[in-house]
Amino acid sequence: MSCWYNDKAVEDDIAVSTRIRLARNIAGVPFPSRMTDEQKTAVNEQVKKAIIESNTPYAKSLKFLLMKDIPENERYSMIERHIISPEFVKKSENGAIILSDDESISIMIGEEDHIRIQVILAGLQLEKAYDMAENLDTLICDSLNIAFDSQLGFLTECPTNLGTGLRASVMLHLPITERAGEMSGLAESVNKIGFVFRGMYGEGSKAVASLYQLSNQITLGISEKNAIDNLKIITMQLTQKERKLRESINKLKVQDMCMRAVGTLKYARIISSEEMMKLLSEVKLGMALGVLDTDINPIKLLIEGQPYMLMRQFGIMSPDERDIYRANLVRNSFS
Amino acid sequence: MLCEKCGKNNATTHIRSVVNGVVTEKNLCGYCAAKEGYNDFSHNSLTQMLASMFGDVLASGSDTATRRCPCCNATFSDIAESGRVGCPECYKTFYDELLPYLKRVHGSTKHAGKIPNKAPLTVKPKIESADSLRLKLNELVREEKFEEAAVIRDKIKKLEKGNNK
Repeated sequence: MSCWYNDKAVEDDIAVSTRIRLARNIAGVPFPSRMTDEQKTAVNEQVKKAIIESNTPYAKSLKFLLMKDIPENERYSMIERHIISPEFVKKSENGAIILSDDESISIMIGEEDHIRIQVILAGLQLEKAYDMAENLDTLICDSLNIAFDSQLGFLTECPTNLGTGLRASVMLHLPITERAGEMSGLAESVNKIGFVFRGMYGEGSKAVASLYQLSNQITLGISEKNAIDNLKIITMQLTQKERKLRESINKLKVQDMCMRAVGTLKYARIISSEEMMKLLSEVKLGMALGVLDTDINPIKLLIEGQPYMLMRQFGIMSPDERDIYRANLVRNSFS
Repeated sequence: MLCEKCGKNNATTHIRSVVNGVVTEKNLCGYCAAKEGYNDFSHNSLTQMLASMFGDVLASGSDTATRRCPCCNATFSDIAESGRVGCPECYKTFYDELLPYLKRVHGSTKHAGKIPNKAPLTVKPKIESADSLRLKLNELVREEKFEEAAVIRDKIKKLEKGNNK
């Protein structure tokens, strides 16, 4: 069992992860914010039946969990490793989730829509992630009465998801583009063609560690394939731009910065998550440029050093204690 | 500036609210802000945008304000205020009101993507677009079902020819 942040994958020097989300709803049932508890329970059961009790190869690697059976801290740690959305934790008391062993598949039941199929993979793997999500979707569409209109496509609670209900995102590590002050200009231009940059933790979150999530916004009037192809093209352009900018920077200066980052990570006794993320971002850059030789996985460490992920591994503790455990975790990975 | 709630992290979220002329300010770190429900600004602005777009419809004085969705009982002002639709049926109930807005958001009001197998058969051939066929073609090629793939390929050619006429 290996999570996305444990895996090595194509283009992952810049494209850290790929995420596909499909929004689906059951016809004749109000959307989650207007549902009664009985309706929520019924939807949970219907989706469980459609997937877990189907005789498909997937079913074996998937487990169904009621959100109320998952401890609160574990739920927050699931946000930190991108398995569920912050919104889901807020209003999922009667929700449920279907998870694969490696957590690459997570189906949120009772988020903004009745069903949100998510697939997250390392690196740039849009087609594979979409195929996985699409297979599950077909399973759901074949056994449940999914709300669909030939004109408007899949019907969703928020009209911005109508049509394909697809959000495809790629998380990009763009430290040099960011340092060149080009992010706001790029954000404007991708916006014009129906794409958007978000922070690492999605809607409303700000960019940390030079990690930006690029995703499609338009879902009506464009096919899944076109949306994904466009995202891939823009991703490749941004990747090339970042690589080109990386070529023009002073190698020694970057190496100096990376080595200093390693120095702090290796010897610090107390470290905040902000500082850890900033330094690991520099380490990632150094590794990609070949000026730093280490076999650590900076993204894995970045995720495992998040507050609730730390507590998941080492038990409940105060923020001050977390900073100490975080420093230990990081230091041990370097030795 | 430190977060006024936990007093530990730097305050990165600054909230200024004016209620009945009384101004209150909060300076929180990301985590405390999230815990207090202040982490969703982009969404707020989106729903506000929705609400302002729908406002025109409500002001137009039609029966829109009083009509209710037969399935979930939502009124159009419920949708306008929250920016969220009540249930799938609402799209039918408030179709005319929603359509201009959808056009502004997506630039189109015609679905061009996947059609579930269970969708009414009559609509299916109509929107069998070159794109959806191409997806199918790729799938068949991957599965090395070349004969079936050739049929789809010819269909795409025919479709595209038709479009260029």
